[in-house]
Amino acid sequence: MKNRLRELRAELQWSQGELAEKLSVSRQTINAIETEKYDPSLPLAFKISRLFKQPLERIFTPDGD
Amino acid sequence: MSNSTTSGENERRPERAAVKRALRSFELSAWLALATLVYVITLILVRRHPGWSPSEKIAVSLVPILPGLFYLKKGIQLLRELDELQRRIQFEAWLFAAIGTVIVGTVINVFNANGLEGKWVAHGLEVGGTYLTMFLLWSVGVVIANLRYR
Repeated sequence: MKNRLRELRAELQWSQGELAEKLSVSRQTINAIETEKYDPSLPLAFKISRLFKQPLERIFTPDGD
Repeated sequence: MSNSTTSGENERRPERAAVKRALRSFELSAWLALATLVYVITLILVRRHPGWSPSEKIAVSLVPILPGLFYLKKGIQLLRELDELQRRIQFEAWLFAAIGTVIVGTVINVFNANGLEGKWVAHGLEVGGTYLTMFLLWSVGVVIANLRYR
């Protein structure tokens, strides 16, 4: 699954550590999501969506799209 | 002033979480060490008292289960505190360790069945060997999974 997490984080000038703290996950998790090595769970995806005030489909898109 | 204090607090929060996690890990290791110590003590006690009745031997032999249960409880607590990626890493590592141990045990049994037991091949995986194999494979599994999600 593709995502715009790195781009959204950069817009707000947050570090991976800061974002990790806001989402209560490890920095490794943020890095793995940004590098698309790991797809977040639905609850975490919704948390990300709420934090960036964007709908899920504008942050995450399936690989084929 | 209050902003800088808040920012300082925020900067220290991950450190505190790391310290908390380290303490939990230490607590977990301490329970494992205690369980192992109690196991060794009970083993020595039972061997030094051959006159004990079977029920006495059973009662003493079961004592290490108590710290073992606390170890299990702490381990589950620690797993629940991990974030979802860390839980996935642990799951993959434990699966690798469990399947790997079954494979190692099976290979040794096949060697034994084919008459290769002796100097080069162990006689089955005993309890100690199983723990050691699982621990080694779990360590390898953690490294592999961490490299995968790095």
